[in-house]
Amino acid sequence: MARQGVGASVPRKEDDRFLRGRGEYVGDIRLPGMRDVAFVRSPLAHARIRDIRIPPHLRSSVFIASDIAADTRPIRAVSGLPGFKPSDQPILAFEKVRQVGELIAMCVADTRAEAEDIAAAVEVDFEELPAVHDMLLARRPDSALVHEEWGDNVFLETFVDINMEAAYDAPIKITREISTARQSMAPMEGRGTVAVWHKRMDQLVLYTGNQQPHIVRNGLSECLNLEQLKIRIVSPDVGGGFGYKGIVLTEDVCLGWLAMRCGYPVRWIEDRREHLTAGANCREHHYNITVYADRDGKLRGVECEASVDSGAYSSYPFSACLEAAQIASILPGPYDFPSYRCRTWSVSTNKCPILPYRGVARTGVCYAIELMMDAIAHECGLEPYEVRLKNLVRPEQMPFDNITKKHFDSGNYPESLRQALAKIDLAALRARQKKGEPDGRLIGVGLSVYCEQGAHGTSVYAGWGIPMVPGHEQATARMTPDGGLELRIGAHSHGQSMETTLPQVAHEILGIDIARIKLVHGDTEYTPYSTGSWGSRCAVMSGGAVATASRELAKLVKGIGAHLLQTEIENVKLENGAVVGPSNSVKIDEIAHTWYRRPQDLPATVDPRGLEVTIGYKPARDSGTFSYATHIAVVAVDPELGDIELIDYVVVEDGGQLINPMVVDGQIYGGLAQGIGTAMYEEMNFDTSGQPLASTFADYLLPGPTEVPAPKLGHMETLAPYTEFGVKGIGEGGAIAPPGAIGNAVNDALRPLGAQVLHTPMTPRRVLEAIQAAAERRKAKAPELAEGLPA
Amino acid sequence: MSTCNLNVNGSAVSAEIQPRTHLADFLREKLNLTGTHLGCEHGVCGACTLLVDGVPTRSCITFALACQQADVTTIEGLDDDEITRELRAAFTREHGLQCGYCTPGMVVSARDVVLRMQDPSERDIRVAMSGNLCRCTGYVGIVRAIQGVIADRRGRGIAAIPNGNRTRLGPSGSGNATAVTPASVRPKANAAPTAKKAEAPAASAVSLRDTSWKPQTTFTQSFTVGHPVDDVWNFFADIGAVAACLPGASLAGEPVDGHVDGQIKIKVGPISAEFQGIADVTRDDATRTGTIVGAGKDKRSNSSTRGLIGYAVKPGELADQTRVDLTIGFTLTGALAQFSRSGLIQDVAGRIIAVFVQNLETRLSHRSGGGEGEPAMVEEFDAGALMRSMALDYVRRALRWLLRRS
Amino acid sequence: MKPVNFDYARPDAVDAVIRLIADDSRTVKMMAGSQSLGPMLNLRLVQPDLIVDLTGIEELRCFSDGADEISIGACVTHADIEDLRVTDVTRGALPTVANGIAYRAVRNRGTIGGSLTHADPSADWHSILAAVGAKVVLRGPAGERTVAVEDYMVGALEADLRPGEVLVRVVVPRLSKSARWGYYKSCRKTGEFAHAIGAFMTDPDRGVSRAVIGATESRPVVIATASDVIGDGRAPRPSDSFDGGAVGEILEKAGMVDPLDKQTHVAALRRAIEQARPQ
Repeated sequence: MARQGVGASVPRKEDDRFLRGRGEYVGDIRLPGMRDVAFVRSPLAHARIRDIRIPPHLRSSVFIASDIAADTRPIRAVSGLPGFKPSDQPILAFEKVRQVGELIAMCVADTRAEAEDIAAAVEVDFEELPAVHDMLLARRPDSALVHEEWGDNVFLETFVDINMEAAYDAPIKITREISTARQSMAPMEGRGTVAVWHKRMDQLVLYTGNQQPHIVRNGLSECLNLEQLKIRIVSPDVGGGFGYKGIVLTEDVCLGWLAMRCGYPVRWIEDRREHLTAGANCREHHYNITVYADRDGKLRGVECEASVDSGAYSSYPFSACLEAAQIASILPGPYDFPSYRCRTWSVSTNKCPILPYRGVARTGVCYAIELMMDAIAHECGLEPYEVRLKNLVRPEQMPFDNITKKHFDSGNYPESLRQALAKIDLAALRARQKKGEPDGRLIGVGLSVYCEQGAHGTSVYAGWGIPMVPGHEQATARMTPDGGLELRIGAHSHGQSMETTLPQVAHEILGIDIARIKLVHGDTEYTPYSTGSWGSRCAVMSGGAVATASRELAKLVKGIGAHLLQTEIENVKLENGAVVGPSNSVKIDEIAHTWYRRPQDLPATVDPRGLEVTIGYKPARDSGTFSYATHIAVVAVDPELGDIELIDYVVVEDGGQLINPMVVDGQIYGGLAQGIGTAMYEEMNFDTSGQPLASTFADYLLPGPTEVPAPKLGHMETLAPYTEFGVKGIGEGGAIAPPGAIGNAVNDALRPLGAQVLHTPMTPRRVLEAIQAAAERRKAKAPELAEGLPA
Repeated sequence: MSTCNLNVNGSAVSAEIQPRTHLADFLREKLNLTGTHLGCEHGVCGACTLLVDGVPTRSCITFALACQQADVTTIEGLDDDEITRELRAAFTREHGLQCGYCTPGMVVSARDVVLRMQDPSERDIRVAMSGNLCRCTGYVGIVRAIQGVIADRRGRGIAAIPNGNRTRLGPSGSGNATAVTPASVRPKANAAPTAKKAEAPAASAVSLRDTSWKPQTTFTQSFTVGHPVDDVWNFFADIGAVAACLPGASLAGEPVDGHVDGQIKIKVGPISAEFQGIADVTRDDATRTGTIVGAGKDKRSNSSTRGLIGYAVKPGELADQTRVDLTIGFTLTGALAQFSRSGLIQDVAGRIIAVFVQNLETRLSHRSGGGEGEPAMVEEFDAGALMRSMALDYVRRALRWLLRRS
Repeated sequence: MKPVNFDYARPDAVDAVIRLIADDSRTVKMMAGSQSLGPMLNLRLVQPDLIVDLTGIEELRCFSDGADEISIGACVTHADIEDLRVTDVTRGALPTVANGIAYRAVRNRGTIGGSLTHADPSADWHSILAAVGAKVVLRGPAGERTVAVEDYMVGALEADLRPGEVLVRVVVPRLSKSARWGYYKSCRKTGEFAHAIGAFMTDPDRGVSRAVIGATESRPVVIATASDVIGDGRAPRPSDSFDGGAVGEILEKAGMVDPLDKQTHVAALRRAIEQARPQ
C-alpha cells in the first residue's frame, strides 16, 4: 500500500462522483411534491414601500412581510465591540428597502418559471430615497441615512494608537490613497435552499449549501423562534463557498417558514442575477495610509485611516464589523516596527452586505502595506526586497508578539523571500527592463509578503463578541461492525478535500486503509457541533479533532486487541491496521467484529465506550497558526492598450506540516486565481443611485484559463508549535498576496512613465488613465522636458 | 405544452414541456439528470456544457424544443466513453477539480479539446478551455490533465479529428425534426397576465418627492430659432407639445396643478420597454427657465426611469431670434440598468435625445416659419426605424455630447 | 432567470417565417442559434409571445459557391466556418475570426445571420465582414434586397430589418491571390466582449482596400477606401504607411471623443494591419 498518512499526496476520494456528474448539490435534491419559490426583490437601493399590490387570484401564492411577521424575527448579528450599532435585516422588507435585491415578497408555484411569472405580476409602489452609494460620502453629515435611528452611517469606529508620535521625526514620510473594489465571491454554484417539514421527526429539514450548518441552525432557531431539536440542517455537496456560504440568509428563513406552513417541500435556487445583484459582496476597502521610515529603509511607523463599505445590514454570524476591525489588528502584516496608529470605520451603505471572502481583510491590507513598502524602497533607492528584509520579522524572534499583539507562532519569513527570489533572475529582469522590449511593452517585477492567521479560536473571537465563538472542535470516530471507520465532523468540505485529508489523518494513527474511512459531514443530525468551515481552520481544527478522536479510538482498539491476543495493552501496538502483540496480531476488522457481533468473546472489564469516540480538540494555544508566503509577479504592461500580462509568477509558502501536498498546491493555485481576479478583473460597480452595474458574468469578469498562469511553487515546512502534526491553516493564503505583488509589478513597469495605479482591479482603463495623468503632470511641470519622454 | 422528443444518452425520451424550457432544465427537471449544472444561465460559465449531436453545446441557452429529435449526451452518458475515462483518471491525478460544480461541463469541453486538437500548446489548450470557468483550481490541474491525455493518446497513435466528426451545417441540435406550426393564437399561458394599462394607476407607481435627485447622465445642448422669445417661452408652456417632441412619449391628459400622467415607449432591437408614470412641470416667468421632471416604471422588466428636461429661453444675437438652452438628464434603475455596458444605454439615450432636440427644432422652426398644421415628426421611439429615417450625421453629432456616467 | 412563456414555431421555409413575423398582434421574435437571444430571454429582457425558430429551414443551413462570391445561409454557424465546412474564399480571414468568437460550445450553435441581426457592436462578424466587403440579403413580403454589412447595423442592438423581413444569406466576395487581411481585437479576457476591434483587407488585384474599426458603442466605422490611411496595399508591410492621426480624426468625426477610447481603437487597427497575412 502506498503511503496514505499525513504528508502523502493521495488522490482524492471525492473525485469520482463529481467526475461522473453524481455529486448532489442542493439544486439536485428531488423531493416528492416539491414546489419552487421566486422572490419579488427591490429594484431600488433605497426607498419606502408605499404599497404592494398582488393580483387577487394570486394572493394565496404570494407571501409578504405581514404574512410572516408573527412567526419570524429579523436577522440580527451584533458585535460586542464598544459602540457597535446593530441593524435588523427584515426577513421580508416592510416600510423600507435598503439595497437592490432585498426581499419583498415570496412567490410559490410548481416551477421556477411560473413562480417568476407570479413575482412579475406583483406590483410595488416605492417612494425613492437618496441612495447612500459611496462609503466616504456616507460619513459626511449631509448624507442620507441607511438606518435613520442611528443618526449616522457608521456601524462601528475603532481606534488604536501605539506610540505613533515617536515616528514623526522620521526622514521619510509617504502618504497614499489606496482602495480595493467591491467584489462578488462568485462560487460556481450559487446559494440554494430546499425546506420540508418532516412529520415523523416533527422537524424542519432545511437543505442549504452552506459552510456552517450548525451556525445556520442557531440562526434559524432564533429567526423562526423554533427550538433546535426541531431543526435539522443538511448541507449537501456545495459548489464552492469562499465565504459566500458562511451566512444565514433571509431566504433560508423564508423557506423554513413556508415549509412549516404549507406542508409540502419548497425550494429556492439562487440564479446568477440574484447572486450578482442581490447576494452578499466583499472586499471594498479604502485606505489613507502614511508610512514613516529611515533612509536605510527601516520602517518607523504606519498611520492609517481605513474604511470598509459594509453595506446595508450586519450579516449573521460574522457581523458588519469583522472586516474593518480586523484591518486595525492585521495591517502591520509580517513587519516589525515600533509606532502604529489606525482608525477604521465600518460604513453602512445602500448596497448588499459584505461578507468575509477568502483572506477576509488580509487581501486589502496586504495590497495597502505592500504598495507602501515599495514606495519606501523607491524613496530610499533600494530594491523592494531589501526593504522587506530590513523589516520582516526574523526567525530568531519566534515566537513573536507584534505591535498589535498578534502571536506569530513560528517561521522564517526572510527565507521565503530569498527562496522566491531564487526562482526568478532579478538581475536579468532589471537588465531586460533597461533594454526595453521589442514590442514596446514595459516589464515590471513586484513582490508581496503576507502572514495569515488561521484557525484562531475562542480567545480571539470572544473579543469580537459576534454570535459565533469557536470553542473545542469536536470529531467522532466510530468503527462499523465490518471494520470501516466513520469520521464525523461539524465543519463542511466543499472543495477543501477533507473527504480525503481527514481519513489521511486517521490513517496516520490507526493505519486503516483510507478507502475504508468515510467522512460524514454537512448534517446537524449526524455530526458534532462546529462553527464550520472558515478562517483556514479545518486542517488544524477538524484535523486536530480527528487526530485526537483517532488516538482515543486507538486506545480502545488496542484494549480489545490485547484481550484477543491474551496480553496486556502495554504490550501491543497498532501497525498497518492491526493490533500487534509480542507473538501474534489481530486485524482491526476482527476487533470491530468482536465488539459488535461477538460480545460474548469480550471480558466483563472491557471499556464500555466500545469503538466510538467523540472528543473535542483545541491547540495548545488558540491565538491561531501563522502561515505566510512570498509572491513575486513579473508583468508586461502594454502602454498603448493598458493590458497587463503575467509573464511569471512565484509563490513560496510555509504552511507547516502539509497533510496532503497535492491538495495544498491546489488551494494555492485556486487562491492565486481569485487573487488575480481581485487584482485585475473583478469589480462590482454601482451607480450613484445604488444600482449594481453587473448582473451577468459578461459584466463581472472572472479569470478564465488564459488569465491565470501556472505559478512556480515552493514549500517550506516550519512546524507549528501548538497544533497536531505542526499543521498550519493555509486555505486562504493564495488569495491574499496577488494584488500586492501584481500592483507592485505594474507600478514598477510604469515607473519610467511616472505613472502608478493604486486601485484594484488594475483594468486597462485604469492603467491608461494613470499613464495619461502622469503625462499631464509631466507636461504641467516641464513641458520642454516631457517632449523627450515616451508618451 | 409541447412534446419534446430527444435521444438522451442513447435512449429515446419524450416529455410535455413549455416551449420556454431550456435543455438543461429539461434534463434536470424532467429526466432527473442532475449532472448537468447551471452556473449562470446566460452562456458564459460553461457548467451546463454537454454534447448535442456529438458537439459541445450550452444547454442553458439552448431550448429543448430547438433540439427536437437530436442526440444529447450528458456527463452521465459518458461513463464508458474512452476519452472521458482517460480524462477522469487524469483529472484525479492532477487534482483538476475541487468542489466539483464546474466539473461536468469542464470534462465535456476537455473531451472536445482532446478529440479535435492534434498537438496543442499549453496556451492553445487554455484558449480552447476559456469558455469554462472554475473558481477553485486556478486551472493548473485541468490544463495538465488535458495535456497528459493528449500526449498519451497521440503517443498511442490516435490522431485528432479536427471537425469533431461533424459534417452537417447549422446549429447543433437543428435539422433533425420536421416543421412545427405555432399553436393557434391564444391567451398566454403565463400565470401573470400582462399589465393592463387601466390597472396601473400610473401616478402612484413612482414618486418625485425626492428633491435631491440628480440624474446619472446629463446632456446639454443649445440651439437658436428665428422666432420671438415670448412665443418660444409660451411654446414650452404647452407640455403636450413638448412631450410630442419626445419620441415614444404621450400624455394621458392635461396637467393638473403641474402634474400630468404619461408614458414613454422605447424599442431597442429585441428589447421593448413601456415606462408609465407622471411628470411634474415647473416654470419661472422671471428667469424664463423651466423644468419637466418625469418618472416612470416599466412593468415587464421591473425597471424605472427618471428624467429631467430643463430649459432656458433667452434672446438670440439677432432680433426675433431665440436661444434655447436644454439640459436633459436621466437615471435608469432595475434590471435594464444592471449591466456594465453602459455605452449601449448611452447610445440609445443619445439617439432618443437627438431626435427630441431635432423635433423641438423642427416644431419651433415650423412655427416660426409660419407653417400650417403640425410638421411631420418621429412619434414612437423605435431605434431601428429612427436610424433609417434620420440623417446619420445628426446622430453622430448627437453622440458627441455624450457624457459618461458621473 | 427563466423566460416568460412563449409560443414556438419551427417553419421549414422562409415564406412561412415571413407570414409569422408579419403578425403584429403579438410580439414575435426570430431565433437562430439562440446564443445571444437565449440569455436575453432568460433574463426576461426580451418577452416575446412567439418565437420563430429559423433553424428548421434547410435553405438557411446551406452555402453556395459562385465564381466571384460565396453565399452563406443565415443559420450557418461560426463553427461551420471555423472548421471549413463552408468553403473559404477569404484567404483564411473568416475561419480565423470565427475561431476567436466567444467559445467553442457557443460557436457550435451561434450563427452568422443571428450575430449580424443581433447587432452587438462588439461582435466580430460585423467588423470582419465589413472589411472583406460582404453583403447581406434580406427577404420580406416585397421580395429580396441586398445591404452592405456595414449598413445592416444601424445602431447598438439594431439591425436594418423592415417589418416582415428576415436575413437569408450573407454574400462574401472571393478575394484574389494578392489579397491580405488583418484582424485584431482587444478584450480584457479571452472570449469576452471586445473593447476595440481593428479589421482590414486589401486586395490590390481587385482594387479594393477597406479598413474597419469595430467595438465602438455603435455601428463599426468603415473606411471604404482605405488607401488614405493604409496605402495601396502593395508595400511590403502595409503598416509602414499607416496614418494613425487620420484614423483618429475619422473616429472623432464618427463621434468618439474619449482620447483613450480613440487611442485603443486606432491601436487595434494599426495592429490588425501589422499582422496582415499572408505575410
